[in-house]
Amino acid sequence: MSNISYLLLVFILMALATYVTRLAPFVIFSQHRERPLLKFVAKYTPPMVMTILVMYMLKGVQYNSAEGLYYILALLVTVSFHLLVRNALLSIFAGTLVYMIAIQI
Amino acid sequence: MIRSVIKTTLPILFGFLPLGTAFGILFQELGYPWYFASLMGICVYAGAAQFMAVGMLGSGVGLFEIAISTFFLNSRHLFYGLALLNSFGAWGLRKLYLIFGLTDETYALMTTIKVPKEFNRERYFLLITLFSQCYWVLGCTIGALASSFLIFNTEGMEFAATALFTVLLIEQWLMVRRLLPFIIAFIASCISLILFFQHMLLVSIVLSIIAIISLRFINYKKL
Repeated sequence: MSNISYLLLVFILMALATYVTRLAPFVIFSQHRERPLLKFVAKYTPPMVMTILVMYMLKGVQYNSAEGLYYILALLVTVSFHLLVRNALLSIFAGTLVYMIAIQI
Repeated sequence: MIRSVIKTTLPILFGFLPLGTAFGILFQELGYPWYFASLMGICVYAGAAQFMAVGMLGSGVGLFEIAISTFFLNSRHLFYGLALLNSFGAWGLRKLYLIFGLTDETYALMTTIKVPKEFNRERYFLLITLFSQCYWVLGCTIGALASSFLIFNTEGMEFAATALFTVLLIEQWLMVRRLLPFIIAFIASCISLILFFQHMLLVSIVLSIIAIISLRFINYKKL
């Protein structure tokens, strides 16, 4: 098997494996979407997933270096901006800018 | 509508562009032509899995193993659809594409934002998904093409993803106004960080869902 066809096969398999994970809940639950338990889970997964995603991002940070300090600083900037102005774009931009400047100089 | 969608997805652009570029640079080291990096962004479209695949392709791991690892790495998506069952409209090509393009970032956006009243929700979501994938493919392509002469230092730009999730977390709090799901998810993440560092995302989501369902059964009225 040539290198290119191997690569293409990998792409196809990965695309299928990824698509299955994204498609499954829609196929499995589309008939039951009015069930109270499902509605309940659907209501509370986004806040839980958002908490987990933030924790996941924090997990990758090196806290014993300056990076950790900059990260927390940028996070504080993002949160305070958002609580004060409540403009998502502005808060994200401010936090990211602070982090980029801090890490690059 | 396009202007509004671009504004909404700008944080995703900031997140995907440097990450995609990093992927493209890494992919380029495997020695394939640059357009295969773009192709992977188009047909696989899964950030973490694409990074993992570069490592596996480099060490010549078997096809089956790559497919299984991809499945498990993305298995958190099994729970993402739950909150969007009613958001993607009727079955059809559009819905199939919306599901294909469901990433952490688009999930976070689509479950949190309010679509402006003047726009059709499914079309709005379609554009969010399409634009986000374009940003990702663009990043992959730039990285694979221009790995040697990057004009702009994007170091640190990946913070945009953290900032996006943080802002959406605050928005979720303002919508839900109940501490419980956040506390459950926080405890679940701490437990899985300690016990299952590598698979933290999936384990935390499963633990949280089990916990909140159990609490509902124990104390039905309060939730």
